[in-house]
Amino acid sequence: MALSCIVALLLCTLPPPGGVAARDVPNDAGGKIAVTWTRSPDGSVINYRVLRQAEGATEWDTIGMAGRLASRYFDEGAGNGTPYRYKVLAEADTLQGESEPSGYAKAAPQWFNTGRIPSIIGTALILVIFLYTFQQARRGAKMFIRRIAGLDAVEEALGRATEMGRPTLYVPGLSTIDDVATIASLNILGEVAKKTAKFGTPLIVPNRDPIVYTVAREVVKESYASVGRPDAFNPDSVFFLTDQQFAYAAAVDGIMLREKPATNFLIGMFWAESLILAETGAISGAVQIAGTDAVSQLPFFITACDYTLIGEELYAASAYISREPLRLGAIKGQDYNKLIILALILGGTLLALAVDIRITDIL
Amino acid sequence: MKRKLPLIIVLVTGIFGVLTYIIPHPIIQDTDAVFRNDILRVIGAFSIVLGIGSILRHHFIKIKRKAEHWGYSWITVVALFVSAIIGLFGGIDPTRPGLLPTQVGGFSFHIQSLFTGLIVPLGSTMFALLAFFMASAAYRAFRARNLEATLLLVSAFILMLGAVPLTRMIVRELPSFAEWILAVPNTAAKRGIGFGISLGILATSLKIILGIERGWLGGGE
Amino acid sequence: MAASGSAGRKGFWERLQRIDRRWIYLVIWLVVMVPLIKPFPIKPVASPPVQQMFSYIDSMPEDKALIISVDYSPDTQAELHPMTLALLRHAFATDRRVGLVATTVYGLGLGEDALREVKREFDSVATRHEDSVISGEDFIFWGWTTPLLTMMLGMGERITNVFPVDYYGARTESLPMTRHVKNYNDVGILVSVAGSSMPISWVAYAQTQFGLRIGCGTTAVSAADYYTYLNSGQFTGMLAGMRGAAEYEQLTREKMDRLGMTWRVRNRGTEAMSSQTAAHIAIILFIVVGNIGYFATRRRKS
Repeated sequence: MALSCIVALLLCTLPPPGGVAARDVPNDAGGKIAVTWTRSPDGSVINYRVLRQAEGATEWDTIGMAGRLASRYFDEGAGNGTPYRYKVLAEADTLQGESEPSGYAKAAPQWFNTGRIPSIIGTALILVIFLYTFQQARRGAKMFIRRIAGLDAVEEALGRATEMGRPTLYVPGLSTIDDVATIASLNILGEVAKKTAKFGTPLIVPNRDPIVYTVAREVVKESYASVGRPDAFNPDSVFFLTDQQFAYAAAVDGIMLREKPATNFLIGMFWAESLILAETGAISGAVQIAGTDAVSQLPFFITACDYTLIGEELYAASAYISREPLRLGAIKGQDYNKLIILALILGGTLLALAVDIRITDIL
Repeated sequence: MKRKLPLIIVLVTGIFGVLTYIIPHPIIQDTDAVFRNDILRVIGAFSIVLGIGSILRHHFIKIKRKAEHWGYSWITVVALFVSAIIGLFGGIDPTRPGLLPTQVGGFSFHIQSLFTGLIVPLGSTMFALLAFFMASAAYRAFRARNLEATLLLVSAFILMLGAVPLTRMIVRELPSFAEWILAVPNTAAKRGIGFGISLGILATSLKIILGIERGWLGGGE
Repeated sequence: MAASGSAGRKGFWERLQRIDRRWIYLVIWLVVMVPLIKPFPIKPVASPPVQQMFSYIDSMPEDKALIISVDYSPDTQAELHPMTLALLRHAFATDRRVGLVATTVYGLGLGEDALREVKREFDSVATRHEDSVISGEDFIFWGWTTPLLTMMLGMGERITNVFPVDYYGARTESLPMTRHVKNYNDVGILVSVAGSSMPISWVAYAQTQFGLRIGCGTTAVSAADYYTYLNSGQFTGMLAGMRGAAEYEQLTREKMDRLGMTWRVRNRGTEAMSSQTAAHIAIILFIVVGNIGYFATRRRKS
């Protein structure tokens, strides 16, 4: 009896953490409550034990431990809608200091993430500008687009293939369908396929991703149909090769050297295989038009290909080739947005400099 | 309808994609998880079947027509089946055997040995070609034709010298200067191009969601 | 006589301009092969991005694990595999828990290969149970799953949900290491060794959503792409190409020497440095000769 009294006395001598508070974690899917406290002033604290009690329950359950420097714990096992309260125990070797319980808090899922407001405003602004330029385009406003040599060359390059009686090779990049560069490439493939259908030039489209393959096949088939040549579509011209990067490169190199296409399109996302493809194409004597937003592969394409679409030119290509007003409107929208971003960067830099100079003046 | 249905699916899923970003509620997040975990996996599995179907079709046609180099098509088809069977039923290696025996005497052909013995050297060989192509491209096309090309040439020169450990002994600051070129002017240019690309991606996504861009459907109206 | 000599010289430059590319291939083959057979010693000096990664892993809290994401395929393994080996050696030498994950099917074989090699090195000199490297205790090879997004996001919540069994078929829930490594909260840094843009996906999902620290190992070709991420602090260090691997090997070697682990290991990155240096010098000379030829023939034409 006497011994247990001494133990109880010893256990209570550590100054407890204060100000324990619990509240629902905002902007989440629920099930999470944040417990905060001010640390015990005692330096010998090893860790904090967090205890939880549901409303109506009598038991306090340990739900987790936090390090001696922690002043926050996330209870990730809270049921939505159940009120809980929390206590925090400061623990040293043999001592404990127990805090007062917090008020009750309930976890709840939210319908709107307020943390995303700035990015929503930014995106909305960008979208409004795009919609404005779409509207302008619909009204028939004249849109100027600078010349893009690589795209001007498409017709000529396809004409060359027709004259020489050799096929055209179209590589839609090595990425998957969720890469927007791949989608941009498939958009261009649609336009190129329409032209090869008109010219009657065989088109070869090898693929690395099975999903891209199925989409590419439909794109080419539809393009042939849309210019009234469904009969000219060869289902075997669009095919899946392998999903292995360099095996794919080897296979495409083989096609370049065996079939000797007069024109090679290397458009989409590329990695280290870019130069292997482009150099082999150069050796085979094809006219090569490349386009990618993989910036580090651009130097290789620029060196080894006749024309290269750099970065955003890839995204402008389908509008440029088709000359469809709405698509052209998107390019104008991009320009306006770029202007705004430029102004923001410039303004921000000047502001930062001004503040900096003022501070050094004061110092 | 054939054209409208895909456009409606794209519009709905596109808007849903935006919603998952701003609505943390489980109703939206769980639906998104079903899309990501189940539906995409199922589509992916079907596309692999289509992909394998395509490669088999391509090569069987070649074999049937006795097209040029048709013998190689046999190699592809046989390799495809053999590696699939070993991979599915042969276990990882002799310490973790599968249903099929993958060892004949001292010769083992389990999937790890196929991998290290065939795939690794073949892949490395292809990647190694880069050294040869880089040298020949550098020799043929890397010329100081105008001011821009000269600037490119000079910076490439410094970077390559910076990568050579021997130059550290001659000019001590060269590696740090090369590092600076990569970290400052290179990054600045990349960020500039990056803005253009991001806006291009945004515009393309928007055009697809709104049905303005239909190239992925094969164009047409 | 003099005129014909000058014409001969110009003819020489012109011929050199149109040289068959197979001669260039031959020179490159020689400058790569000869130093591989007979290397000249080079001591790598760590560049700031490599030093940054090493220092972080070396000094991160003891209870935090290192995850290596094997995101490369056999094609780029010559450049990238030495990085995985060096990272594993560094982690095992300093008693850090290691998680290995593959984002491509090809990463499975490579991850297994790396683990096997480094485990053998440590086990061959181990005298006690604690000194050997044990699957499930010192490391877990989670393996591969799909889709990518589900894996990267799911591991932030609970790794055992994403990988109920490890690569060897053991239930992850039952492995001793799982008690200490439940999700990204228990991970000090994830190093994505990749020949593709996978490190950026890790930043986009694991870092922005869970605040996980990311490092990257990449091919020299892709390195220029990643300086933006390094500058902004999204990458804690970067190993770029064979040189990055060699520099990390050097730092690990020095660390292991300090810890009294003086056994010899094959540092493949360092071994290949003399070859790479010779190839660099050859390409520099090619560019110089190409440009001299270009100006010599252009002057004659004008």
